[in-house]
Amino acid sequence: MFLKGCPLDCPWCSNPESKDKDPQIMFNPNLCIDCKKCIEICPNNAVDFNLRGRIVRDKCNLCMECVDHCYSKALSIEGIEGSVEELLFELNKDRIHYRRSNGGITFSGGEALYQSDFLLELLKGCKANGWHTTIETAGYYPKETLEKIIPWTDLFLYDIKMIDDGKHKKVIGVSNKRILANAKFAAASSADLVVRTPIIPGFNDDKESVSEIAEFALDLKGVKRIDILPYHRLGEDKYYGLGQKYQMKDIESPSNEKMEQIKELIIKKGIDCTIGGVE
Amino acid sequence: MKATKKLKFSYQLPEKAPRIDTLLDDLMSVTPEIDPERAVLITESYKENESLPVIKKRAKALEKILKEMNIVIRDNELIVGNQTTKPRSSPIFPEFSNKWLLDEFDTLAERDGDRFLISEKTKETLKEVFDYWDQSTTNELATSLMTQEALEAMDAGVYTVGNYYFNGVGHVCVSYDEVLAEGFNGIIEKAKAAKKELSFGNPDDTPKRHFLDSVIITAEAVIEFAGRFAEEAEKLAEKTSDNKRKKELLEVAKNCRNVPANPASTFHEALQSFWFVQLVLQLESNGHSISPGRFDQYMYPYLKKDLDNNEITLEKAQELLDTLWVKFNDINKVRDQASTDAFGGYPMFQNLIVGGQTPGGQDATNLLSFMCLEATEHTKMPQPSISVRYWDKSPEEFMMKAAETTKEGLGMPAYYNDEVTIPSLTNRGLTLEDARDYCIIGCVEPQKMGKTEGWHDAAFFNMAKVLELALNDGKDPMQDYKQLGPKTGKASSFESFDEVMDAYKNQMEYFVELLIHSDNCVDSAHAERAPLPFLSSMVDDCIDEGKSVQNGGAHYNFTGPQGVGVANVGDSLAAVRKLVFEEKEISIEELENVLANNFDGHEALRQKLLNNAPKFGNDIDEVDELAREGALIYCKEVEKYENPRGGSFQPGLYPVSANVPLGAATGATPEGRLAGTPLADGVSPVGGRDQNGPTAAVNSVAKLDHHIASNGTLLNQKFHPSALEGENGSRNLNALIGSFFDQKGFHIQNNVVSGDVLREAQKNPDNYKNLVVRVAGYSAHFVSLDKSLQDDIISRTEQCF
Ligand code: SF4
Ligand code: SF4
Repeated sequence: MFLKGCPLDCPWCSNPESKDKDPQIMFNPNLCIDCKKCIEICPNNAVDFNLRGRIVRDKCNLCMECVDHCYSKALSIEGIEGSVEELLFELNKDRIHYRRSNGGITFSGGEALYQSDFLLELLKGCKANGWHTTIETAGYYPKETLEKIIPWTDLFLYDIKMIDDGKHKKVIGVSNKRILANAKFAAASSADLVVRTPIIPGFNDDKESVSEIAEFALDLKGVKRIDILPYHRLGEDKYYGLGQKYQMKDIESPSNEKMEQIKELIIKKGIDCTIGGVE
Repeated sequence: MKATKKLKFSYQLPEKAPRIDTLLDDLMSVTPEIDPERAVLITESYKENESLPVIKKRAKALEKILKEMNIVIRDNELIVGNQTTKPRSSPIFPEFSNKWLLDEFDTLAERDGDRFLISEKTKETLKEVFDYWDQSTTNELATSLMTQEALEAMDAGVYTVGNYYFNGVGHVCVSYDEVLAEGFNGIIEKAKAAKKELSFGNPDDTPKRHFLDSVIITAEAVIEFAGRFAEEAEKLAEKTSDNKRKKELLEVAKNCRNVPANPASTFHEALQSFWFVQLVLQLESNGHSISPGRFDQYMYPYLKKDLDNNEITLEKAQELLDTLWVKFNDINKVRDQASTDAFGGYPMFQNLIVGGQTPGGQDATNLLSFMCLEATEHTKMPQPSISVRYWDKSPEEFMMKAAETTKEGLGMPAYYNDEVTIPSLTNRGLTLEDARDYCIIGCVEPQKMGKTEGWHDAAFFNMAKVLELALNDGKDPMQDYKQLGPKTGKASSFESFDEVMDAYKNQMEYFVELLIHSDNCVDSAHAERAPLPFLSSMVDDCIDEGKSVQNGGAHYNFTGPQGVGVANVGDSLAAVRKLVFEEKEISIEELENVLANNFDGHEALRQKLLNNAPKFGNDIDEVDELAREGALIYCKEVEKYENPRGGSFQPGLYPVSANVPLGAATGATPEGRLAGTPLADGVSPVGGRDQNGPTAAVNSVAKLDHHIASNGTLLNQKFHPSALEGENGSRNLNALIGSFFDQKGFHIQNNVVSGDVLREAQKNPDNYKNLVVRVAGYSAHFVSLDKSLQDDIISRTEQCF
């Protein structure tokens, strides 16, 4: 389950529709049948066929008329609003699969903790049903937020992208002090923790950055392993559909060999490592 | 070379022997041909025996075929027995139907899928043969038995009884275990003993005597047939200078001297005995889906004995098994163009199933269950159709092994759920022990081996067409609104959704009754013109009752016609209910109008129907319940009826690949489907409409009543290989199967191949000759399929966890 909203602004994010906490209109040109209904219906003249994202975002007041009349779903809303009960009802549909797969629910984003009160209620609901809960987070929150949800959380997938604070600030826009401190706190708690590191060419795919992350992880109490995730361009089209720019256009995904090398390096440091979480 | 594989099950499975690839290369390097020999021999035999009762004519004909056909021991074979002189060629069975073949002589070698070469000489020979059979085929008799209404409904594509209408029945699993244990000499003794019980004074006993005599004739013929192979092997052994091969050939000769006449004394003999049965069943009639069934159960004692006594190594045993797997692919059959559209890829549906439980209810998995999966991994061929029975006590290691086999991308094994199958069979009158001992015939049809004439592939019934007729006052929009069914009103006359459902029910009642009539006519035609003594000798209670399976001699008798288009009906009903009657977004007149015009000029409206109403396969009750209801109406109607063999009708929900031709006969449907395009495959969602991932798809499918569809249901899932990578991937797959089965799904099969690969294979078929895909209930070489079938497979959603 993806929860919308994120305080960070990583240029490589593959779920850009999840960054903004409000619903957004996404345009998918492959589905458009050119019926022009959207232009006819828009009360604010906000539809422009020359735009890759189709909608002039600052003229649009999100009245959703165009989305309702786009029968081919070329225009769609990203993000639906739902109550805790409604979401639990949806999650409950897969209860038999959770039992069979020893799995449960992963809350992701955006940033799972962005809507932390809502998340807390959801987590309680999951636990009442006996489901395993996983939180994917980048940890950029006050300690209290974490403290609140830990009793209802079985596993953290904890994003650590860079130990060098200077580089972290430069690319992601914020300091990592709080992120690293929270990682220590979460690792020492009753929940399990796996470190996740997206490998971004030119940012953290060098020996030094990787070693630092491995050493940091080694120091954490109760950490299970590091999952390294190769950067991929799957999100690219979504940026255009949202009328946004994609800043990573020229960056290639890291090669399999490169990923294997990094994995080797991490394992040599004495901590388990997978590529993409696959054992 | 792969390293020796290790299993937690505490034994190691050997790697592939070099012989296997040699055998495969020889087999695949030949283009299939039409072989007229059988057709000539049966015709001569009939001419020689005009005065005999039909059952004896059939016995005499088989005897002549086995005596006189050309026999071949192919290079490197360890298990022998050929159906045709050249590998993978097709014998001809003029007694079932032949006019279509005459019409298609010149296109056989050119057509899109399943090509067969045919020489001018063969054409001449067959023309002469076919003259003899004019008006004497089962097909012609069945046609003359049917009413005009039924013939018109079939023409319109409401249903097709095509398979048995034009071909032999097949679709059976005989008592292989009995042949292995007692040999055909045992069967002869049994028949002789039964004959002693007959009285000359009782008029009913005369046909019984003829039947039992026929059993004895065919049993003796198959023993002699094996003797011919023994001689041939000895001759070849004489000639060869290769000492190793000489030894092998002498072993082959020794085996053929002992089996299938006598009980098998070794694993090798058991395999050889099995193969003679499998082969001669094919030569007797051209039914497909002659299924080995629970091979790992009846064959295991022979393997175990040899292993325990150090008579055989595991390597040798695996090699023998692998060579048998190659042999399965030597059997082939030519079909008419329409059936080729429905069953593309030269399929023979020889379903072989492993795992599951014993008649006593304990887990039945053994070493041979693993070895069978390994043989499929080694040979990577579409035959046998390998299946796995699953229940809560199936060993974890076994399921992991099955997942490994799945990853080979052959679309096999298919998985069947004991927890649904067993109660659904006891509900049809099987004893608990027999139900627990079920095997699978053809695609997905369960039966108790050696006791059943299941007539499993009786028909494909087009539920979407019935809905189309229900919206058109019983008139067929694809045939200028010709009146086909009862007048139940036009769509525009309906004022509520209930009226739509009522019309659907009324049309269903009418057409199911016609379907039953057609099936029963075909059934009677087989009883009258093509009873099968050899097959009947291995099905209980034929010998005791003194009659063939075609005359009702089997212990359990069923007829199983399949409903096709579950998802289309569900999606259509949901669209009509929601958009027309609930939200009134579309008026019923407008709907009627756009459907009549195949949405021409109304693409936006079509998109609305496609996207603004819920679709089956996404775990949405609103539509899933309608799919369930639409299918139940069909199933409940079918199970009311009886067949001429004294058994009942039982519905199935799977299309093989009849969803393509049946779709071609169906106009535009309210869920946004264009006229003439394929229907959904089995109980699977419409390709591409299940967008909430595999768990939602299986949740939806599990909402159907799989117990009532006791002739089988079929769910196809297609995975990108990446979805199944590593041990985690296997676990995810097994968890999905397990949770589908927990929710009382019946069958699931998994294709592992990327859409890109398939598209590439379409463009460059030469580079992808080996690519096997799961079509519906069977696996076939992708490049041998018709283009539209290929497209259909590509369009099925690729699932990712
Ligand atoms: S309404 Fe949708 S399909 Fe029609 S033109 Fe606009 S975006 Fe395209
Ligand atoms: S949401 Fe409303 S304002 Fe925005 S583009 Fe669509 S119709 Fe226009």
